[in-house]
Amino acid sequence: MALISIDRERNLLIAEMQGLDKLWALKSRLEIPLAHVRGATHDPGIAHEPKGVRVGGTHLPGVITAGRFRRDGEWVFWDVKNPEKTVVVELADEESYDRLVVEVEDPRAAVALIEGALARDA
Amino acid sequence: MGRPRAFDTDQAVAAAAVLFAAHGFEGTSVDDLVSATGVHRGSLYKVFGSKRSLHLTTLRAHLEGEIRPAVEAVAGITDPGQALETAVARFDDGPAAGLLLLAAAERAPHDPEVAALVEEGVTALEGALRPSHGDDAPQLASTVLGARLRLRARPADPKEY
Repeated sequence: MALISIDRERNLLIAEMQGLDKLWALKSRLEIPLAHVRGATHDPGIAHEPKGVRVGGTHLPGVITAGRFRRDGEWVFWDVKNPEKTVVVELADEESYDRLVVEVEDPRAAVALIEGALARDA
Repeated sequence: MGRPRAFDTDQAVAAAAVLFAAHGFEGTSVDDLVSATGVHRGSLYKVFGSKRSLHLTTLRAHLEGEIRPAVEAVAGITDPGQALETAVARFDDGPAAGLLLLAAAERAPHDPEVAALVEEGVTALEGALRPSHGDDAPQLASTVLGARLRLRARPADPKEY
């Protein structure tokens, strides 16, 4: 589970891994400039697709997917236990990850927060 | 980065528009979009960024490819009855018929960008009805939207659920 917030002063999207997910994902916090965020989508189905190769982190299929994964030449950061609450954040080429796939408490609210911040930014 | 784009963007947008027009924004999942467009999930995200952004792209394409030719046809008619009839038959029609109407009802209250695109479509309709109906054009535009809504509310094929 990740807590997503927007830092309006520094124009950043911040994803903070909650609890033990910090350990599973080998990452406690990601900060992405809003200008490098292309969009957010509630996508429960993505968790049922192959994750690719785990490069760092934890993968217990059906239990947890957390950390860095590489698939089809793309870098994807995962932190998902419950696929139903998965949000996909697509990032620009400048970022080291192509996308973040994270579980959040309220997918609808998280997507609205991110997409709203982008619309304001534009 | 990533694999090269190996699909026709316009075709993917057209297929997505049909889905959004049939099931709405919330009712269309990324799984639905992946199956209908035949495009890999990763490529969909890479090209469009998000489901919302793809939805906006379908709306813009619908305005350009369906709404614009329809209102141009209406604008060329001076007979009031015929202009109204053509508008009811052709506004927001095509393979993704109702995309604008559904976006107006579902997304426009939450999304200023959708609201602006809906406004663009309705304003174009008003403008097209002006040559035939003068100052009554805004009222007639509302009549057209209402008629389209009633047409949509009628099941096309009762066997199809």
